[in-house]
Amino acid sequence: MSISTLNSYLPHVRLPSRRRTTTTTSNRVLATLSDPHVLRLAETLEDSISAASPLPLPYLQKLRDTSSQTLLSTPWPSRKDEPFRFTDTSFIKNADIQPVPFSSTQSLSSLPVSEDTLLPNLTVVDGYVVDSLSQLSEFPDGVFVGLLSNLNSESIMKRVSEYVSDFQGDLFWSLNGVGAPDVIVVYVPEGCKVEKPLCLRFVSVNGSDKDSKSLPISNPRILVLVEKGGEISIVEEYSGGDENDKSYWTNSVLEVVIGDGAKVRHSYIQTQSLNAAHVKWTSVRQDSKSAYELTEVSTGGKLSRHNVHVQQVGPDTSTELSTFHLSIGDQLQDLHSKLVLDHPRGFSRQIHKCIVAHSLGQAVFDGNVQVNRDAQQTDAGQLTRSLLLEPRATVNIKPNLQIIADDVKCSHGAAISDLEQNQLFYFQARGIDIAAARRALIFSFAAEVIERFPEKSVQKKAEGLITKLLIPKLLSR
Amino acid sequence: MALFNPTFSFKPCNLFSNGPQRCRYVQSVRNFTLRATVSVEAPSSSTTDTGGAPKLLLEVKDLSAVITESKQSILKGVNLTMFEGEVHVVMGKNGSGKSTFAKVLVGHPDYEITGGSIIYKGQDLLEMAPEERALAGLFMSFQSPVEIPGVSNIDFLNMAYNARRRKLGLPELGPIEFYGYVAPKLELVNMKIDFLNRNVNEGFSGGEKKRNEILQLAVLGADLSILDEIDSGLDVDALRDVAKAVNGLQTPKNSVLMITHYLRLLEFIKPTYIHIMENGRIVKTGDISIAEILEREGYKSISGT
Ligand SMILES: Nc1ncnc2c1ncn2[C@@H]1O[C@H](COP(=O)(O)OP(=O)(O)O)[C@@H](O)[C@H]1O
Ligand SMILES: [Mg+2]
Repeated sequence: MSISTLNSYLPHVRLPSRRRTTTTTSNRVLATLSDPHVLRLAETLEDSISAASPLPLPYLQKLRDTSSQTLLSTPWPSRKDEPFRFTDTSFIKNADIQPVPFSSTQSLSSLPVSEDTLLPNLTVVDGYVVDSLSQLSEFPDGVFVGLLSNLNSESIMKRVSEYVSDFQGDLFWSLNGVGAPDVIVVYVPEGCKVEKPLCLRFVSVNGSDKDSKSLPISNPRILVLVEKGGEISIVEEYSGGDENDKSYWTNSVLEVVIGDGAKVRHSYIQTQSLNAAHVKWTSVRQDSKSAYELTEVSTGGKLSRHNVHVQQVGPDTSTELSTFHLSIGDQLQDLHSKLVLDHPRGFSRQIHKCIVAHSLGQAVFDGNVQVNRDAQQTDAGQLTRSLLLEPRATVNIKPNLQIIADDVKCSHGAAISDLEQNQLFYFQARGIDIAAARRALIFSFAAEVIERFPEKSVQKKAEGLITKLLIPKLLSR
Repeated sequence: MALFNPTFSFKPCNLFSNGPQRCRYVQSVRNFTLRATVSVEAPSSSTTDTGGAPKLLLEVKDLSAVITESKQSILKGVNLTMFEGEVHVVMGKNGSGKSTFAKVLVGHPDYEITGGSIIYKGQDLLEMAPEERALAGLFMSFQSPVEIPGVSNIDFLNMAYNARRRKLGLPELGPIEFYGYVAPKLELVNMKIDFLNRNVNEGFSGGEKKRNEILQLAVLGADLSILDEIDSGLDVDALRDVAKAVNGLQTPKNSVLMITHYLRLLEFIKPTYIHIMENGRIVKTGDISIAEILEREGYKSISGT
């Protein structure tokens, strides 16, 4: 669709923010480049937000302003845009997107998911925190976990406000900025090592039937700020109730700011409905000597996209990304990761694995590692392996290392394969039949990532999940 | 349960000792044999022969095989006959086809049989899937066992052991019961208990890999063990450990086919027969004296031509 045809759809552009009067002229110019579809969606989101909280905090106001500003010139991505070359978002685009109202999420007395977590947790239903379902045990002094609008500490508010994002994500990032009703803040003060892992549980309850055009959207937004020398382990879970066939769209953003010598361990499990859209941003800033470890298992969503962006802002950082995606049905699992190293002596290890076990299943991986001029003595490794278990299953992978610095150690590898013949034979030679051997090898493929979850309980949960999903597939073969 | 608590203390014929060979076919030993066979759960425990002539175990006739992918011919008419309780050694230069022969016996898909036959315990081995061969008591210790990341040694052994129990119509062992069964076996190969929690062969040293193969043999038992270069890459201590372990598993009824291209193994073993393989054929068969000629004059002296 050309811009001129787009413009013909634009009889009148309503500017998405109330505060925009001062910049009307420049916006008119931008407006001519706007995508009417995007603007309509932005308006819908904005209307729902202003109904919910008439007087936003300065942080939120700024976030909404910058986001809606960006949306004015952001078209809906098409397959012609490189980041979406293999990721078809028309399922979202063609839907009638409706923000979930606050009121429909607070009356739940229990969750439609198993209550299996013993970890301190904050429970978020369709983007809204539900206190009665959350269980936050006491954290060390100075730690804050909760909504920005409930934050009383001026000093923390001041620190948080320094990080209203100036990061340029994509359309979905900005839609979240406009649609997020509040921000969940996790603040860890200087030198504080939080022992217990914190679980952030996101549950999608409102969903439409599979064939309905309506698509309820939630826009959770989280900011994790860990000051110098602090440490925390965060378990971020997205699920969608027990009947796993509802349609909804979770459009989530997590920002992580890791101070000098601080450490964040981030576990992420996504098991949403196979008719849902799950779009997720994880944007990380790492100061010198800091460490960030991500371990991910994603199995849910009809369309699931995780964008991971890690930016180094000081030397001697350590970054470990271990991710496992499973496409068990007619679904797409997409990981777009970008690691930008601008300072000396960074260390990074990335492993991405995926299994596609359905003839209509797809997996996409775009893994970019940039080692820029000043990032001397960087040690960066990237490995991706894909396992296709059905004839027409597809995977599109694009590992790419961009190295400008000259004194660096970088390695990468990519393999798409069936199971190793020699390994299968080893099982058979010990009397194990080929089906059982295949099962064992497939689980071991996933185990390499699962065993990196720092919490045993999370490991167990992920193992159980994979078993439950894969066993029926493997037995039916 | 008691039945499956194998006792490896009974060693009527210490395979690896340099001492005098005795008692292979003595009647009283036979009785013990049966018990010992059951105790390591070799699936063939139904044979209750009472002495007499040893039974034919393996008969390979004019066996030829090619590499599946390239159709390159590797085995060019191998003949070999083994009776129960015998120990055969196959020697030969690197590349002569020894490992290929071993792998063909256990049904490796890299090779395609183009001629000849293999009869094992009266059955056509070539008609059997690899796992059926294993369950029929064939065990091969690989020259270079493959690493299996993500599968722990104990889970692997447990799976294999349960496959065998199913075949025997016995209930499977859960992880805890199995642990109780397998833990004492580690002593046999002189390994620490944490060996069980490591992933199969992953990051193992050469010696550890060989010990692990023998541990599997100890856990699963076998009527015919094919040991492909269990001696290569081992220092003297490791070699002694491995030899001792194989020794401990030996009964007068189960048979061993040893593959090596070093003479060094023969310091520990006095085999029934030695075969020399050359260019995909067994070119000479004889007793230990062949080894002595080899020692003095090298392979050239016994070349089939
Ligand atoms: N899977 C295979 N692919 C290619 N070549 C092979 C394969 N297996 C064996 N060969 C070749 O066949 C010959 C015999 O190998 P092998 O049986 O391993 O010999 P040995 O064990 O006596 O050293 C060698 O030349 C070897 O390179
Ligand atoms: Mg060999």
